[in-house]
Amino acid sequence: MTGQEIMFIILALIAICCASLVIVLKRISHRVLSMAFCSFAIAGLYFLLRAEFLGIIQIMVYVGGLTVLFVFAVMMTDHRTTTFVPERSKVFKFVSFIGVGSLLSIMLIGILGMDLPAGTEPFIGTAEAIGLELYGNYVIAFLGVGILLLAALIGAIVIARKEADEQ
Amino acid sequence: MMPVTLFLALGAILFCIGLYGVLTRRHIVVVLVCIELMLNSVNINLVAFSSVGPVANVTGQVFSLFVITIAAAEVAVGLAILIALYRNRASIDVIKHDLLRSS
Repeated sequence: MTGQEIMFIILALIAICCASLVIVLKRISHRVLSMAFCSFAIAGLYFLLRAEFLGIIQIMVYVGGLTVLFVFAVMMTDHRTTTFVPERSKVFKFVSFIGVGSLLSIMLIGILGMDLPAGTEPFIGTAEAIGLELYGNYVIAFLGVGILLLAALIGAIVIARKEADEQ
Repeated sequence: MMPVTLFLALGAILFCIGLYGVLTRRHIVVVLVCIELMLNSVNINLVAFSSVGPVANVTGQVFSLFVITIAAAEVAVGLAILIALYRNRASIDVIKHDLLRSS
């Protein structure tokens, strides 16, 4: 077993455990923290795949940005007085578990039965290569994403601010 | 180099965990976190194909950047909607927000 495979197994176990903890844990702040660790593990997988730029972006956006956003949303809402009664029925949970489990097993059978020729050399995703492609072939999509981010920012501000007085 | 199927299997597992969370949890923030997990698993697939796939090139990583951007925008708008909902109805339970249901 090479060092790469050991690293992959460790990171994959961390990612799967943290993703499960997001569902299992009780307190909302622990769940958000667990998502941050899951993002860290996935960033480590990107580094393992030699996608360094994307790994750094993953840490910056997910761990640095989205986690803080989630924590702010948790702070803005009151979680002590909220109760979740009546609880979702056991039948619903069981049916969703069976459905998701069968979907997972079908996907795993399909994936592991697939015979893909392995690439010989890993592609190294440097910032230069990504930038050349992004500003070359995908410049229209890049501008569109910029406009979408602007619209989302303005929309978020407009939705979340207090309604102004009518008078 | 590692086979790409391992990464695809990991992506499938993470996707299904996120899907189960979206289906069964009641808390809006948890639902949004689970959607983030699903988008992350899609990113793993894209980066794996881009890096160790049969035809390794940069396109998958560019697509993955776009997915990360859309995820950030989606979370910003989603949390803004959450705060507006909480202010108006004082609840973060997804089941209680059924104003548009025609019953």
